[in-house]
Amino acid sequence: MNSLYDFLETNSMYVVLLIVLIIWIGIFIYLKSMDSKIKKLEKD
Amino acid sequence: MNGIFKVLTFILITFVIITGILLPIPEIPALGDKARVLYFHVPMSWISVLAFFMSMWYSIRYLKTRESDYDLKSFSSAQLGFLFCILATATGSLWAKFNWGSFWNWDPRQTSIFILLMIYGAYFALRSAIDSEEQRAKLSSVYSIIAGVTVPFFVFIMPRLVESLHPDPIINSQGKIHMDSTMLTVFLTSLVGFTMLYLWILNLKFRLERLQIKKLKTIED
Repeated sequence: MNSLYDFLETNSMYVVLLIVLIIWIGIFIYLKSMDSKIKKLEKD
Repeated sequence: MNGIFKVLTFILITFVIITGILLPIPEIPALGDKARVLYFHVPMSWISVLAFFMSMWYSIRYLKTRESDYDLKSFSSAQLGFLFCILATATGSLWAKFNWGSFWNWDPRQTSIFILLMIYGAYFALRSAIDSEEQRAKLSSVYSIIAGVTVPFFVFIMPRLVESLHPDPIINSQGKIHMDSTMLTVFLTSLVGFTMLYLWILNLKFRLERLQIKKLKTIED
């Protein structure tokens, strides 16, 4: 864990990458869950 | 929309984020690392154009068939086009602050996208002002077609007619693409990935609108 922290501290571009990836994964999961909710509503 | 489509969208955009941020890019005078904005800003602009054209296409379909689904698709697409147009404006403006020294300086690109936002803003105002479902669909379809016709002028023609500080459009006045092959690969992947994302969200938005109308009809009955 410490080595990961050291790595991120010296390579700041990876911190930006991590942030953008977290945002994108969050949006993707939200869309996926919305998709399945709509599918469920359509079946009812 | 099947599962493979969604997974592929996820993979493509994740690939663009990783390579777009990490891969080295050639030295570009006056732009430097800020040139990476191209991977994210241009697809926003492209999707807004595509969405406005799709909205126009569905409007034509509606006027031909009078099927309300087409009107809902046209509305959903215009909404997404508006959203992506705002995203293109915001990302471009942030980039402009660090390249041109100000967030907004009425550059031809900024002026034309502003007018486009006004045109589509009026489309939503028109829709919300009409109560009758059929009348709303008919009038907004006609408006969407007229608005769609103006899109190529404001996005492709007007910024090329006037002197602009905006970096050379991807396909420039000589009709050629000047881009490093790695950058071009990431850029094209980005275009495909974000287009797939738009199609997915459009599908969700349309289904949601349809469900809402169905619910309203059952309440009325």
